[in-house]
Amino acid sequence: MLGKLAFRNVRRSARDYLVYFLTMTFVTALMFAFNSLIFTRDIEEMFQVAGLMMALVGLATFFIVLIVAWLINYMVRFMLEKRSREFGIYLLIGMKKKEIARLYQRENILLGICAFLIGMVFGVLLQQVIMAILYSMIRMKYDLHMEFNRDCILMTAACYGGCYLLALLRSKRRFKRMNIRDLMEAQKKNEEVRESHEQRKRWLLPASVLFLGLFAAFIFLGKIQNGGHVLFFLVGIVLVIYLFYIGLSSWLVCYVRRRGNAVYRGQNLFLLRQFSSKLKTMSFTMGTLTALFTVAFLGCTVAMMFSDYQNKILETKFPFDVQINSADTEDDFADELEVIGESAKISEAYPYHIYARIQKGVQGGANGARTDGRIPEESQVNIWLSTHLKTFGRTYLNEDGSPNLKKIAKDSGQGAFYCKYDTYMKLSDYNRLRGMLGYPAVPLGEHEYLIHLKERIREEAGKLKDDITIRGNEGELQFAGYYAEPFSQDGHNGGDYVIVVPDSQEALLTPYYSELAVDIEGEAPFGLGNQLDHIGGPKSRNDTGEDEDIAGHKALPGNICCGSDTIVVMSVENMVRDNLIPEMKYMLSSLIFPCFYIGLVFLCVALTVLSVQQLSDSANYKFRYSVLKKLGMNRQEIGMVILKQLACYYLCPVFLAAVIGGSVSVFMSGKFIFYTGIRTAVINYFGLSFLLFFGIYALYFITTYVSFRRNVEV
Amino acid sequence: MKDYIRVCDVEKYYGSASNVTKAIDRVSFTVAQGEFVGVMGASGSGKTTLLNILSTIDRVTAGHIWYGDTDIAEMKENALAEFRKENLGFVFQDYNLLDTLTIEENIILAMTLHGRGKKEICGRCEEILGVLGIKDIRDKFPYQVSGGQKQRCACARALVNDPRLILADEPTGALDSRSAQTLLETFTDMNRRMRATILMVTHDAFSASYSSRILFLKDGKIFHELIRGSKNRRDFLNEILDVLALTGGEASDAR
Repeated sequence: MLGKLAFRNVRRSARDYLVYFLTMTFVTALMFAFNSLIFTRDIEEMFQVAGLMMALVGLATFFIVLIVAWLINYMVRFMLEKRSREFGIYLLIGMKKKEIARLYQRENILLGICAFLIGMVFGVLLQQVIMAILYSMIRMKYDLHMEFNRDCILMTAACYGGCYLLALLRSKRRFKRMNIRDLMEAQKKNEEVRESHEQRKRWLLPASVLFLGLFAAFIFLGKIQNGGHVLFFLVGIVLVIYLFYIGLSSWLVCYVRRRGNAVYRGQNLFLLRQFSSKLKTMSFTMGTLTALFTVAFLGCTVAMMFSDYQNKILETKFPFDVQINSADTEDDFADELEVIGESAKISEAYPYHIYARIQKGVQGGANGARTDGRIPEESQVNIWLSTHLKTFGRTYLNEDGSPNLKKIAKDSGQGAFYCKYDTYMKLSDYNRLRGMLGYPAVPLGEHEYLIHLKERIREEAGKLKDDITIRGNEGELQFAGYYAEPFSQDGHNGGDYVIVVPDSQEALLTPYYSELAVDIEGEAPFGLGNQLDHIGGPKSRNDTGEDEDIAGHKALPGNICCGSDTIVVMSVENMVRDNLIPEMKYMLSSLIFPCFYIGLVFLCVALTVLSVQQLSDSANYKFRYSVLKKLGMNRQEIGMVILKQLACYYLCPVFLAAVIGGSVSVFMSGKFIFYTGIRTAVINYFGLSFLLFFGIYALYFITTYVSFRRNVEV
Repeated sequence: MKDYIRVCDVEKYYGSASNVTKAIDRVSFTVAQGEFVGVMGASGSGKTTLLNILSTIDRVTAGHIWYGDTDIAEMKENALAEFRKENLGFVFQDYNLLDTLTIEENIILAMTLHGRGKKEICGRCEEILGVLGIKDIRDKFPYQVSGGQKQRCACARALVNDPRLILADEPTGALDSRSAQTLLETFTDMNRRMRATILMVTHDAFSASYSSRILFLKDGKIFHELIRGSKNRRDFLNEILDVLALTGGEASDAR
């Protein structure tokens, strides 16, 4: 009998809480699809960085389990409150508390299992979509196939079950404390509007707004510099999120009490009161929703940033099919060419040198090891960039604004951003390489030089030419221009820049290290980079020992000069484009996917709470709207009031979240654009995530509005 | 006195073709301006249905209801809402006050929906709060005041826009006897001093005795009519009880 009752109750609550049910289904689907990212064997075998994806998706899952548990707990409690009368009747007709608790738990578990099973079906579909996206990102062919990985299903079930367990444990306790009268009366409680200290509490609103303004100002002026500030603002923001609503509600109450002019217009009085009383009873929930929305915004923005990086910058980072660096200036690259030749057809291979101006007698003392304070000629560009690029700030400046030559020498000796010496290239090499990349050749007069640099620093480096002097055989060389096409300047053709001089000036230059650029037909085979890394012998001598980065590539030996890139840096000895791009993309995906995952789930959870709140209150509203109808409002007018009421209720937390998330996002994007050199507007990433956000948001809103109208229509 | 409201051959059926319930069966009567009419009848006699039809909340199956020259049976939904706003005031058994608004705000809202100006609203509100003696509870919420006070607030709301007709559905139903008496006196006052036209539905003989004319409804038909004339209230009450005893209306009370 109890089973039957439970089943029937589930059917009813599934209808009442359709939004909740759908969200649980959707969350299951998302969980399954994203978990399958962890368990895909092909990828695991392919990349050494697969662990990163696992770790990040795992981390995301952890937070998601917590939040979903909160949702379930919230809904369980909420349904309990709404159905307290019914439970009172069960008690009245002689059911034991234990039995009711069991009945209720059984109902919830049934509901959960239904949502889980349906969710798994969608999950398999969603898995295909996500896999297809991932595979196309990493340039692999993906054949649609159902993958029922046992571990994946187990993990999804465990996460989902965990959420339920966390949530249901607490409901049992609630049943213990109940008595019939309380249960029967529970429903009447929320009709009471308690007002106290409104005059004082309303100042929380301007205080919150002021704090937000302060926060925005601090963040945009870059004044948040130490841990103390961060902690202060973090605690402040959390407080603001919660106190804002108390303040807003009190402000509205005071406005209505003061009988502001708006009160006397149309249905405003009704709306203002409705909204303020709802805010009053729900301020904590609203705060939590705001926090969820904010996290969702930030998650989406970060995902957008990195996916934009993937699309725009990554391709320009590896202009050559294969490029190999060797610290040995005598290297003829025979072994490497042999390895490449075995697995691909080489259409063009060009070994060349990068040069430095090492003056006899001062060798080894470059980059300001001299104490006379003069800027050494052999590293003048490095010093100029270290002291002028915004990336470095005041890191390499003395108190008085002069370059801190000692620090520059120390860092470049250890291979921080720039090499020990400025990097030069011969014009013939330069034009040959340009030819390989399909750029037109550049003419250069006998007494001229040019600088090829990264697009990102081109504007900032505009004055560089005025501050340096390049001496030639016969006096000073004239500056002939900047070039900024993608040119592999993360340590291969210099770091950030290379100075190109006519071949006739060769006598002044010393070979610094060797480079090999290879053009191959078709795509490079998978694993070529690894093979190249594993060529042993004295040629790939590595001054700093076996340096490997997280992906297992050999780092540049000796003088590392990867340039001033930050955030995403890829500087390896052997660059094979068709190996590196998928790998980089996979690595970025392991950031992008979890961020989207978190964003989506948080968004849906928050929207569900909003919807369910409104819909289950529609019994109360039905009465209120019938009164309005008797007061002479027609259907359209009531429809408008409902729309306004829902809009207020829905927009308020989003608005606050957009302000907080927006300022942080814009700040983050600004930094991201600055450091990566992507050309895009600062507002773009936030704007895009906002659009995505509003798509989902609109769906929930329309669903709620339609069912709400249906519920209150008399 | 000119016929103010005319109800002509009104019928209201519920249910489908195979199982029809006649809630109202060819009812006709008139209400004059400034009259206080009571409608009595047992549960299921059709009095609430009649009230719903008069108040435009429900529609007739057949017949006409004339408010002056307007036939509300012919009107469209939106026009009805407009009509309701302009012409009717309501007092219900369960008060129908909005729980999120204070007593005063409940009254203000009724006026703002009419699109009146702030000055007018404030003045009128002040006046009506005074007339009904609820000035000192104006800032309280409905849950904070007694049933009688709530009902007086509902009266104030019904009166505030000077409607043609005030419809009251068991207004004393949820009140204790003392509050009920006060409220009925308020009704009489509204009727005499403010010339409000009132139609009150009740099954309580005591409440009905405050009205000037009573229609008795049974099985959807009017079967009797009592007019108070110059009789005092006690005699009128006895007369009502006689009718009820005769018909077995509220049988258990009468026997």
